[in-house]
Amino acid sequence: MSIAAYILSPLIGLVVGIFFMGLFRVMTARIHWRYGPPLTQPVIDIIKLFLQKSVSHGVVFELGLLLSLAGSVVTLFFVPIGNICPLNVAGGLLVVLYLMLIAPMGIALSGGSGANPNISIGVSRKMLLALSYEVPFLLIVLTLMFHYRTISLVNLVQLQRASSWGIIALPLAGISYFLILPAMLGIRPFEIAEAAQEIASGLKVEYSGKFLALYYIEHAFRRFIVIALFVNLFLGGAGEPFTFLLKMLIVFILGVFINAVFPRLRIEQAIRFNWTWPTIIALAGLVIAYIWG
Amino acid sequence: MDRNVLTKWLKQPQKMGNKYSLWAIYFCTGCGIIEVPPVITSRWDAERFGVIPVATPRQANLFLITGYVSLKTLKAIIRTYELMPEPKYTVGFGSCPINGGMYWDSYNTIKHLDKYIPIDGWIAGCMPRPEAIFIAVTHLWTLIDKDMANGYKKYREKYPYYRTNQERALGKLAWPPQFEKGEENE
Repeated sequence: MSIAAYILSPLIGLVVGIFFMGLFRVMTARIHWRYGPPLTQPVIDIIKLFLQKSVSHGVVFELGLLLSLAGSVVTLFFVPIGNICPLNVAGGLLVVLYLMLIAPMGIALSGGSGANPNISIGVSRKMLLALSYEVPFLLIVLTLMFHYRTISLVNLVQLQRASSWGIIALPLAGISYFLILPAMLGIRPFEIAEAAQEIASGLKVEYSGKFLALYYIEHAFRRFIVIALFVNLFLGGAGEPFTFLLKMLIVFILGVFINAVFPRLRIEQAIRFNWTWPTIIALAGLVIAYIWG
Repeated sequence: MDRNVLTKWLKQPQKMGNKYSLWAIYFCTGCGIIEVPPVITSRWDAERFGVIPVATPRQANLFLITGYVSLKTLKAIIRTYELMPEPKYTVGFGSCPINGGMYWDSYNTIKHLDKYIPIDGWIAGCMPRPEAIFIAVTHLWTLIDKDMANGYKKYREKYPYYRTNQERALGKLAWPPQFEKGEENE
Protein backbone atom coordinates (compact mmCIF):
# COMPACT_ATOMS: atom_id res chain seq x y z
CA MET A 1 0.00 0.00 0.00
CA SER A 2 2.68 2.46 1.00
CA ILE A 3 4.59 2.38 -2.31
CA ALA A 4 1.39 2.37 -4.35
CA ALA A 5 0.23 5.41 -2.38
CA TYR A 6 3.30 7.37 -3.50
CA ILE A 7 2.22 6.86 -7.11
CA LEU A 8 -1.52 7.02 -6.56
CA SER A 9 -1.55 10.28 -4.62
CA PRO A 10 0.09 12.52 -7.30
CA LEU A 11 -1.84 10.66 -10.00
CA ILE A 12 -5.17 11.47 -8.37
CA GLY A 13 -3.96 15.04 -7.86
CA LEU A 14 -3.02 15.40 -11.52
CA VAL A 15 -6.15 13.81 -13.01
CA VAL A 16 -8.57 15.54 -10.68
CA GLY A 17 -6.70 18.85 -10.95
CA ILE A 18 -6.90 18.80 -14.75
CA PHE A 19 -10.53 17.66 -14.62
CA PHE A 20 -11.22 20.65 -12.35
CA MET A 21 -9.56 22.95 -14.88
CA GLY A 22 -11.88 21.67 -17.59
CA LEU A 23 -14.92 21.87 -15.34
CA PHE A 24 -13.88 25.39 -14.37
CA ARG A 25 -13.97 26.53 -17.99
CA VAL A 26 -17.19 24.72 -18.86
CA MET A 27 -19.06 26.00 -15.80
CA THR A 28 -17.80 29.55 -16.22
CA ALA A 29 -18.98 29.42 -19.84
CA ARG A 30 -22.43 28.20 -18.84
CA ILE A 31 -22.74 30.93 -16.21
CA HIS A 32 -21.80 33.47 -18.89
CA TRP A 33 -24.53 31.97 -21.16
CA ARG A 34 -21.98 30.55 -23.54
CA TYR A 35 -21.74 27.05 -24.92
CA GLY A 36 -18.19 26.68 -23.67
CA PRO A 37 -15.29 24.40 -24.55
CA PRO A 38 -15.42 20.61 -24.17
CA LEU A 39 -14.47 19.17 -20.81
CA THR A 40 -11.25 17.80 -22.33
CA GLN A 41 -10.02 21.22 -23.49
CA PRO A 42 -7.20 21.49 -20.88
CA VAL A 43 -5.92 18.07 -21.99
CA ILE A 44 -5.91 19.25 -25.62
CA ASP A 45 -4.12 22.43 -24.59
CA ILE A 46 -1.50 20.55 -22.60
CA ILE A 47 -0.87 18.07 -25.45
CA LYS A 48 -0.46 20.97 -27.85
CA LEU A 49 1.85 22.84 -25.49
CA PHE A 50 4.10 19.83 -24.93
CA LEU A 51 4.53 19.36 -28.69
CA GLN A 52 5.13 23.04 -29.40
CA LYS A 53 8.51 24.70 -29.67
CA SER A 54 9.42 26.56 -26.52
CA VAL A 55 11.83 29.26 -25.43
CA SER A 56 13.90 28.75 -22.31
CA HIS A 57 15.42 31.64 -20.37
CA GLY A 58 18.27 29.82 -18.71
CA VAL A 59 18.88 27.18 -16.08
CA VAL A 60 17.07 28.99 -13.25
CA PHE A 61 14.00 29.32 -15.44
CA GLU A 62 13.79 25.55 -15.87
CA LEU A 63 14.90 24.52 -12.39
CA GLY A 64 12.58 26.98 -10.65
CA LEU A 65 9.63 25.46 -12.48
CA LEU A 66 10.77 21.97 -11.53
CA LEU A 67 11.24 23.13 -7.93
CA SER A 68 7.68 24.38 -7.72
CA LEU A 69 6.35 21.20 -9.33
CA ALA A 70 8.35 19.08 -6.89
CA GLY A 71 7.16 21.24 -3.99
CA SER A 72 3.55 20.65 -5.00
CA VAL A 73 4.01 16.90 -5.37
CA VAL A 74 5.77 16.63 -2.01
CA THR A 75 3.03 18.68 -0.35
CA LEU A 76 0.51 16.27 -1.84
CA PHE A 77 2.27 13.35 -0.10
CA PHE A 78 1.35 14.85 3.27
CA VAL A 79 -2.29 15.59 2.45
CA PRO A 80 -4.60 12.63 3.04
CA ILE A 81 -6.92 11.88 0.13
CA GLY A 82 -9.49 9.71 1.87
CA ASN A 83 -7.37 6.90 3.27
CA ILE A 84 -4.49 7.47 0.85
CA CYS A 85 -1.74 9.33 2.68
CA PRO A 86 1.81 8.28 1.73
CA LEU A 87 3.59 10.29 4.41
CA ASN A 88 1.53 9.94 7.56
CA VAL A 89 3.75 11.86 9.98
CA ALA A 90 3.04 13.27 13.42
CA GLY A 91 3.48 16.94 12.47
CA GLY A 92 1.80 16.80 9.06
CA LEU A 93 -0.09 20.05 9.34
CA LEU A 94 3.04 22.06 10.21
CA VAL A 95 5.00 20.44 7.39
CA VAL A 96 2.24 21.30 4.90
CA LEU A 97 2.30 24.92 6.09
CA TYR A 98 5.98 25.19 5.21
CA LEU A 99 5.90 23.11 2.03
CA MET A 100 3.03 25.10 0.54
CA LEU A 101 5.38 28.08 0.26
CA ILE A 102 7.83 26.24 -2.00
CA ALA A 103 5.58 26.25 -5.08
CA PRO A 104 5.06 30.04 -5.32
CA MET A 105 8.74 30.57 -4.48
CA GLY A 106 9.80 28.30 -7.32
CA ILE A 107 7.47 30.03 -9.75
CA ALA A 108 8.77 33.42 -8.62
CA LEU A 109 12.37 32.25 -9.07
CA SER A 110 11.63 30.80 -12.49
CA GLY A 111 9.55 33.70 -13.72
CA GLY A 112 12.04 36.23 -12.39
CA SER A 113 14.76 34.95 -14.70
CA GLY A 114 12.52 35.79 -17.67
CA ALA A 115 13.53 39.45 -17.19
CA ASN A 116 10.22 40.85 -18.39
CA PRO A 117 8.86 43.89 -16.50
CA ASN A 118 5.41 42.30 -16.41
CA ILE A 119 6.88 39.32 -14.57
CA SER A 120 8.40 41.41 -11.81
CA ILE A 121 5.02 43.09 -11.28
CA GLY A 122 3.37 39.67 -11.27
CA VAL A 123 5.89 38.22 -8.81
CA SER A 124 5.54 41.14 -6.42
CA ARG A 125 1.75 40.85 -6.60
CA LYS A 126 1.83 37.11 -6.00
CA MET A 127 4.13 37.47 -3.02
CA LEU A 128 2.07 40.30 -1.53
CA LEU A 129 -1.08 38.24 -1.99
CA ALA A 130 0.60 35.25 -0.33
CA LEU A 131 1.66 37.51 2.53
CA SER A 132 -1.90 38.76 2.92
CA TYR A 133 -3.62 35.37 3.03
CA GLU A 134 -0.96 33.69 5.16
CA VAL A 135 -1.96 35.74 8.21
CA PRO A 136 -5.58 34.51 8.47
CA PHE A 137 -4.48 31.05 7.28
CA LEU A 138 -2.00 30.67 10.14
CA LEU A 139 -4.64 31.87 12.63
CA ILE A 140 -7.10 29.30 11.26
CA VAL A 141 -4.57 26.49 11.49
CA LEU A 142 -3.67 27.57 15.03
CA THR A 143 -7.35 27.49 16.00
CA LEU A 144 -7.71 23.96 14.64
CA MET A 145 -4.53 22.77 16.33
CA PHE A 146 -5.69 24.26 19.62
CA HIS A 147 -9.23 22.89 19.42
CA TYR A 148 -8.30 19.34 18.43
CA ARG A 149 -4.96 19.31 20.34
CA THR A 150 -3.06 17.73 17.47
CA ILE A 151 -0.68 18.79 14.71
CA SER A 152 -1.17 15.70 12.58
CA LEU A 153 -3.46 16.02 9.56
CA VAL A 154 -4.48 12.36 9.67
CA ASN A 155 -5.30 12.60 13.38
CA LEU A 156 -7.27 15.77 12.73
CA VAL A 157 -9.40 13.98 10.15
CA GLN A 158 -9.97 11.03 12.47
CA LEU A 159 -10.95 13.30 15.37
CA GLN A 160 -13.41 15.16 13.13
CA ARG A 161 -14.93 11.90 11.94
CA ALA A 162 -15.23 10.75 15.56
CA SER A 163 -16.91 13.92 16.89
CA SER A 164 -18.12 16.66 14.53
CA TRP A 165 -16.82 18.39 11.42
CA GLY A 166 -14.51 21.37 11.82
CA ILE A 167 -16.97 23.70 10.12
CA ILE A 168 -19.56 22.89 12.84
CA ALA A 169 -17.16 22.90 15.78
CA LEU A 170 -15.30 26.02 14.60
CA PRO A 171 -17.67 27.91 12.25
CA LEU A 172 -15.75 31.18 12.38
CA ALA A 173 -12.49 29.58 11.30
CA GLY A 174 -14.32 27.76 8.52
CA ILE A 175 -15.90 30.96 7.22
CA SER A 176 -12.53 32.70 7.35
CA TYR A 177 -10.88 29.88 5.37
CA PHE A 178 -13.66 30.05 2.79
CA LEU A 179 -13.11 33.81 2.43
CA ILE A 180 -9.40 33.38 1.67
CA LEU A 181 -9.99 30.34 -0.54
CA PRO A 182 -10.25 32.39 -3.79
CA ALA A 183 -6.98 34.13 -2.94
CA MET A 184 -5.24 30.81 -2.30
CA LEU A 185 -6.64 29.32 -5.50
CA GLY A 186 -5.78 32.45 -7.48
CA ILE A 187 -9.27 32.75 -8.99
CA ARG A 188 -11.18 35.77 -10.14
CA PRO A 189 -11.55 38.30 -7.33
CA PHE A 190 -7.89 37.61 -6.49
CA GLU A 191 -6.60 36.76 -9.97
CA ILE A 192 -4.23 39.67 -9.51
CA ALA A 193 -0.88 38.02 -10.25
CA GLU A 194 -2.04 36.67 -13.61
CA ALA A 195 -4.20 39.56 -14.78
CA ALA A 196 -4.24 39.16 -18.55
CA GLN A 197 -5.68 42.57 -19.29
CA GLU A 198 -3.47 44.60 -16.93
CA ILE A 199 0.00 43.04 -17.00
CA ALA A 200 -0.19 40.64 -19.96
CA SER A 201 -0.89 37.61 -17.74
CA GLY A 202 1.92 38.62 -15.36
CA LEU A 203 3.89 35.67 -14.06
CA LYS A 204 3.39 33.37 -17.03
CA VAL A 205 4.15 35.96 -19.70
CA GLU A 206 7.46 34.37 -20.73
CA TYR A 207 6.33 30.75 -20.49
CA SER A 208 5.79 28.97 -23.75
CA GLY A 209 5.39 25.43 -24.99
CA LYS A 210 6.33 22.74 -22.51
CA PHE A 211 7.16 25.23 -19.76
CA LEU A 212 3.63 26.60 -19.92
CA ALA A 213 2.30 23.05 -19.85
CA LEU A 214 4.31 22.35 -16.69
CA TYR A 215 3.07 25.64 -15.25
CA TYR A 216 -0.52 24.56 -15.86
CA ILE A 217 0.13 21.16 -14.30
CA GLU A 218 1.64 22.85 -11.25
CA HIS A 219 -1.43 25.08 -11.11
CA ALA A 220 -3.70 22.03 -11.22
CA PHE A 221 -1.75 20.46 -8.32
CA ARG A 222 -1.94 23.66 -6.32
CA ARG A 223 -5.70 23.96 -6.74
CA PHE A 224 -6.08 20.34 -5.72
CA ILE A 225 -3.96 20.85 -2.58
CA VAL A 226 -5.79 23.96 -1.40
CA ILE A 227 -9.23 22.42 -1.82
CA ALA A 228 -8.11 19.09 -0.34
CA LEU A 229 -6.78 20.96 2.67
CA PHE A 230 -10.14 22.69 3.13
CA VAL A 231 -11.95 19.35 3.00
CA ASN A 232 -9.47 17.80 5.43
CA LEU A 233 -9.52 20.67 7.90
CA PHE A 234 -13.21 21.54 7.92
CA LEU A 235 -15.34 18.98 6.12
CA GLY A 236 -14.06 15.99 8.04
CA GLY A 237 -12.06 14.36 5.27
CA ALA A 238 -13.40 10.97 4.27
CA GLY A 239 -12.83 7.27 4.76
CA GLU A 240 -12.32 6.51 1.08
CA PRO A 241 -11.13 8.65 -1.86
CA PHE A 242 -14.49 8.77 -3.64
CA THR A 243 -16.40 10.61 -0.90
CA PHE A 244 -13.40 12.85 -0.45
CA LEU A 245 -13.37 13.85 -4.12
CA LEU A 246 -17.13 14.44 -3.99
CA LYS A 247 -16.66 16.88 -1.10
CA MET A 248 -13.84 18.56 -3.01
CA LEU A 249 -16.13 18.92 -6.03
CA ILE A 250 -18.72 20.77 -3.96
CA VAL A 251 -16.15 23.21 -2.56
CA PHE A 252 -14.69 23.70 -6.03
CA ILE A 253 -18.08 24.45 -7.59
CA LEU A 254 -18.68 27.14 -4.95
CA GLY A 255 -15.30 28.59 -5.94
CA VAL A 256 -16.32 28.58 -9.62
CA PHE A 257 -19.49 30.52 -8.80
CA ILE A 258 -17.43 33.15 -7.00
CA ASN A 259 -15.00 33.30 -9.92
CA ALA A 260 -17.70 33.69 -12.55
CA VAL A 261 -19.54 36.64 -11.05
CA PHE A 262 -16.96 38.83 -9.31
CA PRO A 263 -14.66 41.37 -10.96
CA ARG A 264 -10.96 41.47 -10.18
CA LEU A 265 -9.76 43.48 -7.17
CA ARG A 266 -6.71 45.69 -7.17
CA ILE A 267 -3.76 44.47 -5.13
CA GLU A 268 -4.19 46.94 -2.27
CA GLN A 269 -7.91 46.19 -2.10
CA ALA A 270 -7.12 42.49 -1.92
CA ILE A 271 -4.61 43.00 0.90
CA ARG A 272 -7.01 45.27 2.77
CA PHE A 273 -9.73 42.65 2.44
CA ASN A 274 -7.53 39.76 3.55
CA TRP A 275 -6.12 41.65 6.49
CA THR A 276 -9.54 42.83 7.73
CA TRP A 277 -12.47 40.45 7.42
CA PRO A 278 -10.86 37.00 7.25
CA THR A 279 -8.28 38.03 9.85
CA ILE A 280 -10.86 39.48 12.25
CA ILE A 281 -13.13 36.45 11.87
CA ALA A 282 -10.23 34.04 12.32
CA LEU A 283 -8.99 35.95 15.37
CA ALA A 284 -12.48 35.92 16.90
CA GLY A 285 -12.65 32.19 16.20
CA LEU A 286 -9.30 31.66 17.90
CA VAL A 287 -10.38 33.64 21.00
CA ILE A 288 -13.68 31.75 21.23
CA ALA A 289 -11.90 28.43 20.81
CA TYR A 290 -9.45 29.47 23.53
CA ILE A 291 -12.18 30.53 25.99
CA TRP A 292 -14.50 27.56 25.38
CA GLY A 293 -11.80 25.01 24.66
CA MET B 1 -15.19 18.33 -36.51
CA ASP B 2 -13.12 15.30 -35.50
CA ARG B 3 -12.19 16.52 -32.04
CA ASN B 4 -13.46 13.40 -30.30
CA VAL B 5 -11.94 10.81 -32.65
CA LEU B 6 -9.42 9.08 -30.43
CA THR B 7 -7.57 7.21 -33.19
CA LYS B 8 -6.63 10.48 -34.88
CA TRP B 9 -5.32 11.77 -31.57
CA LEU B 10 -3.11 8.73 -31.19
CA LYS B 11 -1.90 8.95 -34.78
CA GLN B 12 -1.08 12.66 -35.05
CA PRO B 13 -1.28 14.32 -31.64
CA GLN B 14 0.57 17.46 -32.71
CA LYS B 15 -1.69 18.17 -35.65
CA MET B 16 -4.84 17.57 -33.65
CA GLY B 17 -3.53 19.64 -30.74
CA ASN B 18 -2.75 22.54 -33.04
CA LYS B 19 -6.15 22.27 -34.66
CA TYR B 20 -8.29 22.32 -31.56
CA SER B 21 -6.25 24.59 -29.37
CA LEU B 22 -5.67 27.73 -31.41
CA TRP B 23 -4.65 30.50 -29.05
CA ALA B 24 -5.03 33.86 -30.69
CA ILE B 25 -2.93 36.77 -29.56
CA TYR B 26 -4.54 40.06 -28.63
CA PHE B 27 -3.14 42.30 -31.29
CA CYS B 28 -5.14 45.24 -32.50
CA THR B 29 -4.38 46.80 -35.84
CA GLY B 30 -6.93 49.11 -37.33
CA CYS B 31 -10.68 48.80 -37.08
CA GLY B 32 -11.05 45.03 -37.43
CA ILE B 33 -10.40 44.42 -33.76
CA ILE B 34 -13.91 45.70 -33.03
CA GLU B 35 -15.21 42.40 -34.42
CA VAL B 36 -13.10 40.31 -32.07
CA PRO B 37 -14.69 41.06 -28.65
CA PRO B 38 -18.11 39.68 -29.75
CA VAL B 39 -16.32 36.63 -31.11
CA ILE B 40 -14.59 35.76 -27.85
CA THR B 41 -17.46 36.69 -25.51
CA SER B 42 -20.96 35.36 -25.00
CA ARG B 43 -22.52 36.26 -28.34
CA TRP B 44 -20.37 34.08 -30.59
CA ASP B 45 -18.20 32.26 -28.05
CA ALA B 46 -15.00 31.24 -29.84
CA GLU B 47 -13.98 29.10 -26.86
CA ARG B 48 -16.18 26.21 -28.01
CA PHE B 49 -13.74 25.77 -30.90
CA GLY B 50 -10.77 25.98 -28.56
CA VAL B 51 -9.92 29.50 -29.69
CA ILE B 52 -9.05 31.72 -26.75
CA PRO B 53 -7.24 35.04 -26.65
CA VAL B 54 -3.89 35.16 -24.87
CA ALA B 55 -1.99 38.24 -23.85
CA THR B 56 1.51 37.35 -24.95
CA PRO B 57 3.07 36.13 -28.23
CA ARG B 58 5.02 33.44 -26.39
CA GLN B 59 1.84 31.46 -25.83
CA ALA B 60 -0.04 32.21 -29.04
CA ASN B 61 -0.16 30.15 -32.20
CA LEU B 62 -2.82 32.04 -34.12
CA PHE B 63 -2.18 35.58 -35.30
CA LEU B 64 -5.17 37.56 -36.55
CA ILE B 65 -4.14 40.74 -38.31
CA THR B 66 -7.28 42.81 -38.10
CA GLY B 67 -7.32 45.78 -40.40
CA TYR B 68 -4.94 48.18 -42.11
CA VAL B 69 -1.26 47.89 -41.30
CA SER B 70 0.67 51.10 -40.90
CA LEU B 71 4.45 51.06 -41.05
CA LYS B 72 4.82 51.38 -37.30
CA THR B 73 2.38 48.52 -36.76
CA LEU B 74 4.25 46.41 -39.31
CA LYS B 75 7.32 46.65 -37.09
CA ALA B 76 5.36 45.30 -34.14
CA ILE B 77 3.68 42.65 -36.29
CA ILE B 78 6.97 41.23 -37.55
CA ARG B 79 8.41 41.26 -34.08
CA THR B 80 5.36 39.55 -32.60
CA TYR B 81 5.34 36.97 -35.37
CA GLU B 82 8.97 36.11 -34.71
CA LEU B 83 8.33 35.75 -30.97
CA MET B 84 5.53 33.22 -31.43
CA PRO B 85 6.51 29.56 -30.97
CA GLU B 86 6.23 27.26 -33.96
CA PRO B 87 3.93 25.94 -35.37
CA LYS B 88 2.15 29.27 -35.87
CA TYR B 89 -0.65 30.35 -38.16
CA THR B 90 -1.55 33.78 -39.45
CA VAL B 91 -4.84 35.02 -40.83
CA GLY B 92 -5.31 38.38 -42.52
CA PHE B 93 -8.67 39.83 -41.54
CA GLY B 94 -10.41 42.43 -43.72
CA SER B 95 -9.49 43.79 -47.09
CA CYS B 96 -6.77 46.21 -45.97
CA PRO B 97 -4.06 43.59 -45.27
CA ILE B 98 -4.93 41.86 -48.56
CA ASN B 99 -4.39 44.72 -50.97
CA GLY B 100 -4.54 47.97 -49.08
CA GLY B 101 -8.32 48.24 -49.24
CA MET B 102 -9.54 51.80 -48.92
CA TYR B 103 -6.02 52.89 -47.94
CA TRP B 104 -4.62 51.75 -51.28
CA ASP B 105 -3.01 55.14 -51.96
CA SER B 106 -1.93 55.96 -48.42
CA TYR B 107 1.72 56.87 -47.97
CA ASN B 108 1.94 55.25 -44.56
CA THR B 109 0.25 51.85 -44.85
CA ILE B 110 1.51 48.75 -46.58
CA LYS B 111 -0.56 47.17 -49.30
CA HIS B 112 0.29 43.49 -49.34
CA LEU B 113 0.94 42.00 -45.94
CA ASP B 114 2.07 38.66 -47.36
CA LYS B 115 5.21 40.31 -48.69
CA TYR B 116 6.42 40.85 -45.12
CA ILE B 117 5.22 37.80 -43.20
CA PRO B 118 3.66 34.61 -44.57
CA ILE B 119 -0.14 34.48 -44.33
CA ASP B 120 -1.99 31.17 -44.16
CA GLY B 121 -5.45 32.47 -44.94
CA TRP B 122 -7.43 35.58 -45.71
CA ILE B 123 -10.84 36.80 -44.66
CA ALA B 124 -12.08 39.26 -47.27
CA GLY B 125 -14.57 42.02 -46.52
CA CYS B 126 -14.81 45.44 -44.96
CA MET B 127 -15.66 44.55 -42.26
CA PRO B 128 -16.13 40.78 -42.24
CA ARG B 129 -18.83 39.58 -39.86
CA PRO B 130 -17.72 37.74 -36.69
CA GLU B 131 -18.98 34.49 -38.25
CA ALA B 132 -16.24 34.89 -40.87
CA ILE B 133 -13.67 34.26 -38.15
CA PHE B 134 -15.25 30.87 -37.47
CA ILE B 135 -15.25 30.07 -41.18
CA ALA B 136 -11.58 31.02 -41.23
CA VAL B 137 -10.91 28.77 -38.24
CA THR B 138 -12.64 25.79 -39.85
CA HIS B 139 -10.74 26.41 -43.10
CA LEU B 140 -7.55 26.59 -41.08
CA TRP B 141 -8.38 23.17 -39.62
CA THR B 142 -8.64 21.76 -43.13
CA LEU B 143 -5.36 23.40 -44.09
CA ILE B 144 -3.61 22.01 -41.00
CA ASP B 145 -5.02 18.58 -41.83
CA LYS B 146 -3.60 18.71 -45.34
CA ASP B 147 -0.26 20.22 -44.19
CA MET B 148 -1.01 23.31 -46.24
CA ALA B 149 -0.83 25.82 -43.38
CA ASN B 150 2.93 25.89 -43.59
CA GLY B 151 3.57 29.61 -43.47
CA TYR B 152 6.09 29.26 -40.66
CA LYS B 153 8.12 26.81 -42.75
CA LYS B 154 7.94 29.16 -45.72
CA TYR B 155 9.24 31.95 -43.50
CA ARG B 156 12.34 29.90 -42.74
CA GLU B 157 12.88 28.80 -46.33
CA LYS B 158 12.29 32.12 -48.05
CA TYR B 159 13.57 34.39 -45.31
CA PRO B 160 15.83 36.47 -47.59
CA TYR B 161 12.76 37.46 -49.63
CA TYR B 162 10.74 38.50 -46.60
CA ARG B 163 13.72 40.22 -45.00
CA THR B 164 14.44 42.24 -48.14
CA ASN B 165 10.84 43.42 -48.24
CA GLN B 166 10.85 44.22 -44.52
CA GLU B 167 14.00 46.28 -44.84
CA ARG B 168 12.69 48.05 -47.92
CA ALA B 169 9.60 49.15 -45.97
CA LEU B 170 11.17 49.88 -42.61
CA GLY B 171 14.78 50.75 -43.29
CA LYS B 172 16.98 48.89 -40.84
CA LEU B 173 15.20 46.53 -38.45
CA ALA B 174 15.46 48.05 -34.99
CA TRP B 175 15.51 44.72 -33.13
CA PRO B 176 17.59 41.55 -33.44
CA PRO B 177 15.82 39.62 -36.23
CA GLN B 178 15.18 35.93 -35.91
CA PHE B 179 17.48 34.72 -38.66
CA GLU B 180 20.64 35.78 -40.43
CA LYS B 181 19.90 37.48 -43.71
CA GLY B 182 20.79 35.77 -46.97
CA GLU B 183 21.49 32.36 -45.56
CA GLU B 184 19.51 29.19 -45.94
CA ASN B 185 17.86 28.43 -42.61
CA GLU B 186 16.65 25.11 -41.39
